[in-house]
Amino acid sequence: MAKEAKRSRKNPGLTGYVLRPMYATLKETIRATLHRPNTVLYPWEKVELPENYRGRPGLVMERCIGCGICMRICPTGCIELVEIEDKDHGKMRKPQVNLGRCMMCGYCAEYCPKKAMIVTPEYELAASSRQDLIYDPYELQHKYKPGYEVHIVEVLPSELKRGAVEREPGREGKDRPELDDKKCIGCARCAKICPTGAAEMGQVGVNEKGKPIKRPKFDYSKCVGCEQCVENCPRDALTMKEVL
Amino acid sequence: MDLYQFTEGIVSWLVGIVNWILNWVGFHGLAGWLGSPDIIKFLTLLGESIVLLAIGFIVAITMIWQERKTLGRLMDRRGAMVVGPAGYFQNIADGLKTLLKEYIIPEKADKTAYNWAPVIMIGSSILLLVAIPLSGRFYMSDLNAGLLFIFAVFSITPFAILMGGWASNNKYSLIGGMRSAAQLISYEIPLLLSMVGVVLLSGSLNIGDIVNAQAESTWFIIPQLIGFIIFMVAIVAEVERIPFDLPEAEAELVEGWWTEYGGMRFGLLMLAEYFRGYAGAAVAVLLFLGGWSGPFLPPEIWFLIKVFIVFFILIWLRGSLMRVRVDQILNIGWKRLLPLAMVNLVIAVVFKTLGWF
Amino acid sequence: MAEMWINMGPQHPMTHGLWNLRVKVDGETILDAEPVIGYLHRGWEKMTENRVYPQIIPMSDRLCYGSSMTWSHLYCMTIENLMGVEVPERAEYIRVIVLELQRIASHLMWLAAFGTDLGLLTVFVYCMRERELFLDLLQSVTGARMTYNYPRIGGVRNDLPPDFGRDCLRTLDHFEKKLDEYEEIFDGSAIFLMRTQDIGILKAADGMNLGVTGATLRGSGVKIDLRKHDPYSVYHELDWDLCTHPDCDCYARYRVRMDEMRMSCQIVRDALKKIPAGPIRVKVPRNAPKRTAFARVEDPRGEGLMYVIGDGTDKPYRLKVRSPIFVTVSAVPIMLIGYKIADVPAIMGSVDMCLGETDR
Repeated sequence: MAKEAKRSRKNPGLTGYVLRPMYATLKETIRATLHRPNTVLYPWEKVELPENYRGRPGLVMERCIGCGICMRICPTGCIELVEIEDKDHGKMRKPQVNLGRCMMCGYCAEYCPKKAMIVTPEYELAASSRQDLIYDPYELQHKYKPGYEVHIVEVLPSELKRGAVEREPGREGKDRPELDDKKCIGCARCAKICPTGAAEMGQVGVNEKGKPIKRPKFDYSKCVGCEQCVENCPRDALTMKEVL
Repeated sequence: MDLYQFTEGIVSWLVGIVNWILNWVGFHGLAGWLGSPDIIKFLTLLGESIVLLAIGFIVAITMIWQERKTLGRLMDRRGAMVVGPAGYFQNIADGLKTLLKEYIIPEKADKTAYNWAPVIMIGSSILLLVAIPLSGRFYMSDLNAGLLFIFAVFSITPFAILMGGWASNNKYSLIGGMRSAAQLISYEIPLLLSMVGVVLLSGSLNIGDIVNAQAESTWFIIPQLIGFIIFMVAIVAEVERIPFDLPEAEAELVEGWWTEYGGMRFGLLMLAEYFRGYAGAAVAVLLFLGGWSGPFLPPEIWFLIKVFIVFFILIWLRGSLMRVRVDQILNIGWKRLLPLAMVNLVIAVVFKTLGWF
Repeated sequence: MAEMWINMGPQHPMTHGLWNLRVKVDGETILDAEPVIGYLHRGWEKMTENRVYPQIIPMSDRLCYGSSMTWSHLYCMTIENLMGVEVPERAEYIRVIVLELQRIASHLMWLAAFGTDLGLLTVFVYCMRERELFLDLLQSVTGARMTYNYPRIGGVRNDLPPDFGRDCLRTLDHFEKKLDEYEEIFDGSAIFLMRTQDIGILKAADGMNLGVTGATLRGSGVKIDLRKHDPYSVYHELDWDLCTHPDCDCYARYRVRMDEMRMSCQIVRDALKKIPAGPIRVKVPRNAPKRTAFARVEDPRGEGLMYVIGDGTDKPYRLKVRSPIFVTVSAVPIMLIGYKIADVPAIMGSVDMCLGETDR
């Protein structure tokens, strides 16, 4: 089963000293003289890049909801959310990328729930100072093309056991926040901070003094799984439940 | 009309103008002294050497350009492209850049030897230009033992190398210098023996006589094919190109004995290597390939064309072969080339006694 | 001349990376050697203790940037062993195809550096030209040329593009013809044989005692390849042979790697025929159980191994990497003693150092 080469004392003979390698390179020389050599004359010509080439990250401003998933998943920690004035929604938080630290891994585009972060084919990013490399949300914008998105194409293990090939539609598939009723104090911080409005406070009853007891109700079709409610709950009443 | 008369004419004309100015101003004695035949001869020799130096520089720069472009096409890329037409002025730009670099002399280096080693190297390389004629009428000195002179100047180089390697106070340079000197000394003997074959066939050490003998019979490459091959191998070793590059191998010794030299000293050493390459290729053309004989074009152009063709073979060797290890280099020099050279000598004697060539 | 210690590196034009090789020389002969590494230490294993499991995948690419797909694949296999996840079959086949393409690209880079060490600069450009073809293939699949960020815990990131099979087969046909030409430049040159035969002998017993693995050991006649003897992914379903060579010198190691390149072409062709349709990625739980797990792969440079300790949260407690070159570097003095300084580039070139994984 093993491909074993014979013990070799090869002797290329008298021609081996110079003639055989010279002949091999002569063929290449003649080919490179008659046809074009294999050089791309940058910067007059540029290499053609495929559609899914991962250059710098870009932002499609209309789609971004300011959830902060890109900030959490970035392995180098180069994304920060800054406040800008959005024309429709007032003050919003949008990402700012420090391209000096970015390693162009594409995670921000992959995990973005609204596909507002995209990978763009821009690679000529030289700047004169480190400050110039921090792109605020306006500089980060880039024109959108369908090939620039990165999708997560996964099946759940339960679907895999049933023999499914693709993820069944209808399930949003993000992990869901679950409430621990005993710990909740009804402060409504989760409802205020939710970027999509999936958490809303609803009245579930009246306490002894007659004041309403409020508990958050989640609309799972709107939830994107950004976990801001989980992080900001003062009593740790919310946990993410995984859908497997 | 040969080079001497041509230069003498120009110098006399210039001296005439200067003398006219001096006579008009009133310095008659100075004008008389300036116009005397000894001074004219001295100025003519000076002019000839400037001409030859200029031609040597232009040919060396063209050879570097040729090497860059040919090596580029060998490696499936273009060589230098941007500066000048097809990149011709790139070498001048590189030379100017080398002028701007800083000279760093190592602290414990032996200053005299360190400063004099590149001088001896480049001086002896330029001295070779004196004895290499470009054609029957374009020469500076027609020495009776011109070939011996060339060979003797080739042999000055190990001195410079040993001085440079020792004076740099660097282990790498020392090792490189010793290896280099060993290689050069051991390849001088096959070089000389292959030249002796040609001298036997033509009957004189004068280069003009050798070329005329080739014009009468055949180019000496035909009876002396083995001699030509030995000569080419020995020249590759003398000029220190790949495959006999180990003294300056980048892989282990950085740049060998050149390591501690910076700025224009390094530039001059690189230029000296190309001058010696030109001299080696020129001697190969003169001894084996018929010198400057050829049908339509002027003989100088034929000579230069042949030199560039021989240099192309040297570049091709550089692009396709690997470095040989230093003890294997010495092995090849002593054990393989020397017996072959003896055989070649016997063949030359046989041909001469038979009177075929 | 008296004995002296010479430092080759850390600033040196051609030592394949940032390390220092001190040799003790007497004239030209080497008496002793001492490798000094650690100039490229980046604290990788400590950095992973602060990151969530998916965030470590792009970091594991940068362990050895010469063959980065292998290391991220190794990391994903380790975490899959930890969490008990079963990867869909199409994902396994895609992983094997991409790994073998990466292996060819890594060996081409080795060949380029090997030729340059010996003085042959044209081979550098030729091999990089061929490597561009494989990098273009990998770029069409993953989107990047060197650090791919492609395997995921539970599969791969995206499916193969539609024309991939045709492009891949065309590239492999072209490459095999070119490989014959390059063998002519190396094997047909007596100078190369003079410089690599009987140089750098590493006997099989010495190699196994010191823990050397990979092509370096297979060049000493030992028939060990992790893809055959401890098969992972789908290697046991594909049709290929092990490559070895009985001489223990530099020429044998060169020969083993050239044969491995051809064998990789055969594996890719076979996998392209047998690849099934199906899902390519499965969702994995967020927190890892409180266990330990390890996995090993056959890196182009030897055997790589990763060991993880999970502690119930979504960050690893400890992640340990065993790198093959770290161990081979300790076998370097045995290969060097008794030879000349001029042999050092040939020997070190045949070992194929990549400093990224040595120093982590």
